Amino acid sequence: MILRSLSNLFLALSAILLALPIVVVCGAALNSGRTMFFPPKEPTLSRFYEFFIAEPIWVTALGNSILIAFGSAALAVLLAWPVAYGLWAKGGRASQVLAGLGSMPFALPPIVFGVGLGFLWTFLGALGAVWAGIISHATLFLALPIVTISIGLQSIDRSHLDAAATMGATSSVIFRTVILPQTMPYTISGFFFALVLSFNEFIVMFFVSASAYSTVTLQIFNSLRNGYTPTMAVAAITFIVVSLMVFSAVARWGDLPRLMGAEPAKP
Amino acid sequence: MSVISDLDAVAQPPNTTRSEARKWANPQVLIWAVVLFLCLTPFILIFAVSFGHKVEGAGWVWGFSFANYQRVFVGAEWPDQVTWLYLQRLYYSLYYAVIAAVLAVVTAFPFTYLMTGLSRRAQSAWLVFLLSSLSLSEVFIVMGWDVLLSNRSGLPMVFKETGLTDWLKAVGWFDVLREWGLANPRNVKFKTSVLATVLTMSYLVWPYAVILLYPPLSRLDRSMVEAAHTMGAGPWTVMRTVVLPAMRLPLVGTILLLFVFLLGVYVAVTVFAEPAKQTMSVSVYGAVRGNTLNAPFGAAQAIVLLVTAAIFLVLGQWMNRRTAS
Repeated sequence: MILRSLSNLFLALSAILLALPIVVVCGAALNSGRTMFFPPKEPTLSRFYEFFIAEPIWVTALGNSILIAFGSAALAVLLAWPVAYGLWAKGGRASQVLAGLGSMPFALPPIVFGVGLGFLWTFLGALGAVWAGIISHATLFLALPIVTISIGLQSIDRSHLDAAATMGATSSVIFRTVILPQTMPYTISGFFFALVLSFNEFIVMFFVSASAYSTVTLQIFNSLRNGYTPTMAVAAITFIVVSLMVFSAVARWGDLPRLMGAEPAKP
Repeated sequence: MSVISDLDAVAQPPNTTRSEARKWANPQVLIWAVVLFLCLTPFILIFAVSFGHKVEGAGWVWGFSFANYQRVFVGAEWPDQVTWLYLQRLYYSLYYAVIAAVLAVVTAFPFTYLMTGLSRRAQSAWLVFLLSSLSLSEVFIVMGWDVLLSNRSGLPMVFKETGLTDWLKAVGWFDVLREWGLANPRNVKFKTSVLATVLTMSYLVWPYAVILLYPPLSRLDRSMVEAAHTMGAGPWTVMRTVVLPAMRLPLVGTILLLFVFLLGVYVAVTVFAEPAKQTMSVSVYGAVRGNTLNAPFGAAQAIVLLVTAAIFLVLGQWMNRRTAS
């Protein structure tokens, strides 16, 4: 009994500590002045108006963030599919190497990959182009859809495939009617993981954008020198809300514990 | 998804009976080319650039000399004079990363253990919260902790207002804090300090630690734990004799992965570490995009950082295999 309440206490404490800086940033967004205080002085919502509508710097940055996040997540999923499919359908050493290569940028310190991409785009003359930023993020987060799609493919019941084949379905029909529908939730989860992380990524985007354009995280970092403003905190809130919504959606329509590596739920 | 079917269609013209292998060939080659190009060329380029040298006022040119590496390890004036400046930066990279990774795993482990004991619904809710915090940009997290730890607001103010500072002074612990660099003559201070740096870095990877420990802990056979309980083992004995031995590999693996990730942390270090104790990623940044502008030298440092990371990853793999066999 004591142990039970002790463990609940520990869980609660962890939650509080985890939420603490987030709460502080959110609270600071309500300040009416130009400086951040916590607790906020004269709470107001006008900073939200500035961030989303009034100040062109932030509006453009937000637009870039959204464009890059959606573009790179879609591209990452498109690239990850053949890699994960090859790994599942054929297995073997070569497919493993390919999947390993695809996951490498995510596993190594991002600052190194960022510097490397900076050189790459300089040579190709694309440094500072938004599309180069999209491809960079797609590569950085390729590992995520590879992992989720692989989990999805592994969860397909092989007997369904055999049954379809026995009934005379061609491989493309099997792919369309069995494989694709069953892996769709995992594909979408992979897409959203990549989307949210791209939205929040800073260091690779810093090297790749070369100050030609800015995303919200870049803009915030640039503004750090002038001290914090409540408008920056609004940006933070937006990001947290987006993440919460996306992951809640994944949890609602997909099996989040399974995606994170738990045993499949018992029916 | 559509790529697969499209490419399949391209690779398989009608009325041909080609073998399964041939049907695969074209799209496979394409995907290999794309992945190799995007994932490998950046690293190869850094390696190539690191042998070049800076040209005053004109950027840098290709070359083949080890001058940049020499500068990293023994300083530019070697052999007349040896400076350890960059090795010291590497040392701080490792130092912060090790402490923060271990701290994160040590606190995340009991948390994950308890969490995996909850209902599946509750686990889902926790995972949503954790993933949101995990995906939150380093910039925002640093911003939050900066507000919490800065001298004008946040914790130092709380210390002062609640009289904790006066109490610390009265008991004499205040002087100890000053020796540790955690106080100025008037009040406690956390910026800039090693403590703040390590805590923020640890916070940064804490959700990762939970996510990485989640699969092995949720697959842990709970019936073994219950069996040990029934046989009269107390909770600590169960932890020591059943859970921890089964979890040794995942624990070491998680520490290693977090450690490698933390080697590249930039924002937290620039904000919370004092200038003399900054890390290699900060000087990579400074050399490539910052005020020193010496891309080849930055590349050399990036390679040193990369090799360090790779050594630890390979070491982890090796330990993994040795324990498995």
